Amino acid sequence: MNITELKKVFDNCDITEDKIIIKDKLTETLKFIKENYEFNILKEIVAIDNKDKGIELIYRLYSVENEEEALISISVKNEAESVSKIFDSAYADEKEIYDLFGVQFIGNDELKRLYMPEAWEGHPLKKDYNEQDERLKWNE
Amino acid sequence: MSNKLKLNLGPQHPSTHGVLRLILEVEGEKITSCEPDVGYLHRGMEKMAEKLSYIQYLPLVDRIDYLGAFSYSELLCRNIEKALNTELFPRVKAIRVLMLELNRIASHLLWIGSFLMDLGAVSPFFYAFREREIILEYFEKVTGQRMMNNYFIFGGVRRDIFALADVERFLKILPDKLNDYENIITQNPIFLQRTKGKGILDKETALNGSITGVNLRACGVKYDLRTSDYLYKDYEFTPVVLDGKDAWTRYKARILEIKESAKLIAQAIEKINQNPKFEQDLINPINLILPEGEYYSEIEAPRGLASCYIKSEGGKNPYRLKWRTGSYYSVNLLRRLLVGEYLNDAIAIAGSLDIVLPEVDK
Repeated sequence: MNITELKKVFDNCDITEDKIIIKDKLTETLKFIKENYEFNILKEIVAIDNKDKGIELIYRLYSVENEEEALISISVKNEAESVSKIFDSAYADEKEIYDLFGVQFIGNDELKRLYMPEAWEGHPLKKDYNEQDERLKWNE
Repeated sequence: MSNKLKLNLGPQHPSTHGVLRLILEVEGEKITSCEPDVGYLHRGMEKMAEKLSYIQYLPLVDRIDYLGAFSYSELLCRNIEKALNTELFPRVKAIRVLMLELNRIASHLLWIGSFLMDLGAVSPFFYAFREREIILEYFEKVTGQRMMNNYFIFGGVRRDIFALADVERFLKILPDKLNDYENIITQNPIFLQRTKGKGILDKETALNGSITGVNLRACGVKYDLRTSDYLYKDYEFTPVVLDGKDAWTRYKARILEIKESAKLIAQAIEKINQNPKFEQDLINPINLILPEGEYYSEIEAPRGLASCYIKSEGGKNPYRLKWRTGSYYSVNLLRRLLVGEYLNDAIAIAGSLDIVLPEVDK
């Protein structure tokens, strides 16, 4: 993938050796990359809670034709754009991230509890998750 | 008044291979929408990783997919070997390939049995389990466990391999047994009617839904991670790519893949015999600390691409660990695949995708 070309279109991005770090325009970037560079699989979305720096979302894109990979990274607070219109599989990833990290994806209208019970409070993979919760003391 | 009916399939339906619940909306016999409900087997694999040291976590990862246990322990080991720049010796590499491929055959055999069971044929189940038993017995002999073997360890394997004659004997009988399956299944008119042209998955939908593995290769996309995997570097191997798109093709692809795996096993045995000395550089797990950074590795698991992402902050346990499993995306594909199909085909289509629920729920 020609990274300099990408930089021309999106001036607001940082390119490290393995990642493209963007600050906004998530859907536009992914759409642009998908359409112009044949990145047709979104392998996964990884979410990482970096405490004060917000939640980092890493989109791992892959091109079957060119056999190359691209990582798009964005840090969000509690809200992100949904890319499920561009990659259908994002629907599933976003549901999981909503459940475990509490990120609201705007545009994904089916966000609800996936693994945790419906009445569960808190999002377990967040670093500030309350582990003193009485419900977690089932085996003591 | 609308004629739509909400129908709940599972979670205790025998053909859901675990606890998958599908909320279907049907109009007459036709499915108009499908919503999978998963999470009944959630064990918090990613949360547990953050609390445990790497060696404490290693036995757990086999439980992510109990039918493809080796793939997942390989992923965790590979990440740690990558982080600490440990090279595997040729014999150990060959042992790992042997185990991974035997595991793949066992997994596909179980799938053939249970898929045919879903369609109402009982005898293939017994045939497939008979052959799978040979593999499980071999696993038990070498690793001490039939499933969830906990055999790979950081930098090598727990003990040297032996009784390779058992595997050779298995490889010898396998082609005949596969012929038997093909004779009773592949051209069986009932089987053909229930699978030919059912559950059509075209290339665009599959790629868009992040489908990998056999399901993707059965719609004509040549994407097999084993072609670029470092373990399989010196192996002769052609990925099975078929362009039929339906449930029958996915069945056929799995049969062909078993044959391909058998070839890989034969090559692995050759390599083990070429390197008779068992040596390995084990990583001491007691004080194992991963340097700060991000690590990622992926592998062709029996049910598609599986990957493990680790972010370490230099501590004894990972800061974040994420699994990607093939089945999770297959389950979500049902939202697209079942729409417009008849209710009685739903089981055949869901079965043909080879979904294993512990892998979905993690």
